[in-house]
Amino acid sequence: MSDTYIIQIKDLTKIFGNGVEIRALDGVNLNIERGEFLAIVGPSGSGKSTLLNQIGILDTPTSGTILLDGVDVTKMSDKQRSITRNRQLGFIFQYHHLLPDFNALENAMMPLLISGVKSSRAREVASLMLHEVGLGDRMEHRPNQLSGGQNQRVAIARALVNNPSIVIGDEPTGNLDTKSSESIYELLRKLNREHKQTFILVTHDERMAAKTDRIIRLVDGRIAANSHNSV
Amino acid sequence: MFELDVATRHIRSRRRQTVFSIIAVSLAVAIIIIMMSMMSGMLSLMMESTIENQPHITVFPKENEDYIHLYHGLEKNILDREDVEAISSYFQGEAALQYKHSAEGVLLYGINPDDENRVVNREKDMLAGEFASLANPGSRIILGFKLANNLDVGIGDTVTAQIPGAEPTDFTITGIFQTGTPVDETIAFTNLERLQDFYGSGDVVTGLGVRLSDVYAADTIASRIDMETGYDAVSWIEQNSDILSLLKSSEGLVYLIYIIIFTISGFGIANILIMIVMEKVGEIGMLMAMGASRRSIMLIFLLEAGILGLTGVMIGWILGYVAALAIAAITIPIPPEMYFGMDHLPVEIELKNFITAGIFAMVINTLAGVFPARRASRMDPVEAIYSV
Ligand SMILES: Nc1ncnc2c1ncn2[C@@H]1O[C@H](COP(=O)(O)OP(=O)(O)OP(=O)(O)O)[C@@H](O)[C@H]1O
Ligand SMILES: [Mg+2]
Repeated sequence: MSDTYIIQIKDLTKIFGNGVEIRALDGVNLNIERGEFLAIVGPSGSGKSTLLNQIGILDTPTSGTILLDGVDVTKMSDKQRSITRNRQLGFIFQYHHLLPDFNALENAMMPLLISGVKSSRAREVASLMLHEVGLGDRMEHRPNQLSGGQNQRVAIARALVNNPSIVIGDEPTGNLDTKSSESIYELLRKLNREHKQTFILVTHDERMAAKTDRIIRLVDGRIAANSHNSV
Repeated sequence: MFELDVATRHIRSRRRQTVFSIIAVSLAVAIIIIMMSMMSGMLSLMMESTIENQPHITVFPKENEDYIHLYHGLEKNILDREDVEAISSYFQGEAALQYKHSAEGVLLYGINPDDENRVVNREKDMLAGEFASLANPGSRIILGFKLANNLDVGIGDTVTAQIPGAEPTDFTITGIFQTGTPVDETIAFTNLERLQDFYGSGDVVTGLGVRLSDVYAADTIASRIDMETGYDAVSWIEQNSDILSLLKSSEGLVYLIYIIIFTISGFGIANILIMIVMEKVGEIGMLMAMGASRRSIMLIFLLEAGILGLTGVMIGWILGYVAALAIAAITIPIPPEMYFGMDHLPVEIELKNFITAGIFAMVINTLAGVFPARRASRMDPVEAIYSV
């Protein structure tokens, strides 16, 4: 079971707020297969980011469990969570959050350096990754010398450089025009096929969602629809 | 070590602000090194002057007695002790010195110049004439240079000493000395026998000065003499206890000033780090998402404080050293009779002052880094990432 499902979410509930309670997630049950390319959609405030941050172990649930590769991450210590994020997870956010004082290559190297890989080796791996996202000729550029789409590609290279089993993206193209969005989407899809990694993307773009394996629709913190696309 | 990488990049990309905080630290370090060097210089000058210009132990008559009668025996008793180098018996009395129409009250010291020179080197203070001229039991006198000025006399002049109940006696001036202390205005030396005669006291003295090979043994030896002979022996430490305790308490005040100066420079560092942390919220969140531990985040900002502080300290050391050398080289136009006869500011460049100032600065700078660093390390990654 845990062989097919890389992520198993059971009764996940997240309540925010002191005073006024906000049920951002309300008893979510969801299993995700290894290598799936999955879209989470839903109206604003429906809990998409909250769910993604739970899977990314950036936040803790109010109740319920999340198993990543069979391991319950809700019981992990702060340190284990950091290590798991570093080894198993890759993050792409709407804003690239690249380190502005480092160039593209150094940014892409960062997860490797954090995990203690020697910098010469990290340089090799990151440079391969940057070539893969089509930025082989921009490695020495700083974020302020790159376009929005290029920066997002650097962020993608950074998310994948540690070869994580799960890549999560919160509106990774939300800040880009249609053309760059499409090429970023194509890139993610290509990487998903080549690396067999699990991709979970939150998106507002229904056309893009339609091109994924499966669409999870959240409404008021619950899964309102769970439909496989036939591509 | 990616933490160091991130820390140095943060600093390098903020060159102008960091330069100011480094300048603040280096100025603080330099100022404190200069202050410490001057304190050290002043202190050792005062110690030296005290130790060189006073007997290390002075023995006074027993309680309720005016004189030490059998002083030759006491001299021998004290000279036989360990660490005692020399001894000089003296007779001290008040008198008025008169020259033409001016008169001054003075303390007359009758001494044997050879003995006295061995206890306190008077010869080196002589402006004119020789201290040894008092070896002759004739009516000779040596005056402090201010006293001579006040009386308007010079070598070869004759002054008249007067005391109640004795014939006025003429003394010929054979020397003038200058110590740079108030003594220059109040003291005159004569031959011991001559003065005993003048006061009609017989062969007695009013005190004994003792020189030691180890000045810090003075207290122990003095109390032993005190106990064993019954005479009142006072060490230079006891005699100067007021000044010494004043120095001690002023040292506390000086440290307070150091703390204030360093705290101000520490605020400079805290300020820039708080700025960086606030500016880098998103980045910090992303670093956490990438798996940087809270400890690593903390380390990044502590390293930044450390790098800024250390750079400041090293520049401050150089500045302080150069400034101390410069100050030591300046000749100050103060009359040489003031301030122990010095014509330079007393600056003593000591390694330990550099180390103290450096450690002091680093401790305060690290403390300044703790608050921003903790703040960064305690951020909630989700809030940080979505804070844009
Ligand atoms: N830290 C928080 N404190 C309080 N309430 C929060 C917090 N984070 C999210 N919420 C609330 O939880 C609900 C779900 O928020 P979430 O960010 O997951 O929505 P979303 O589906 O990502 O919306 P959007 O499409 O606008 O990004 C919202 O009502 C939001 O106001
Ligand atoms: Mg959202």
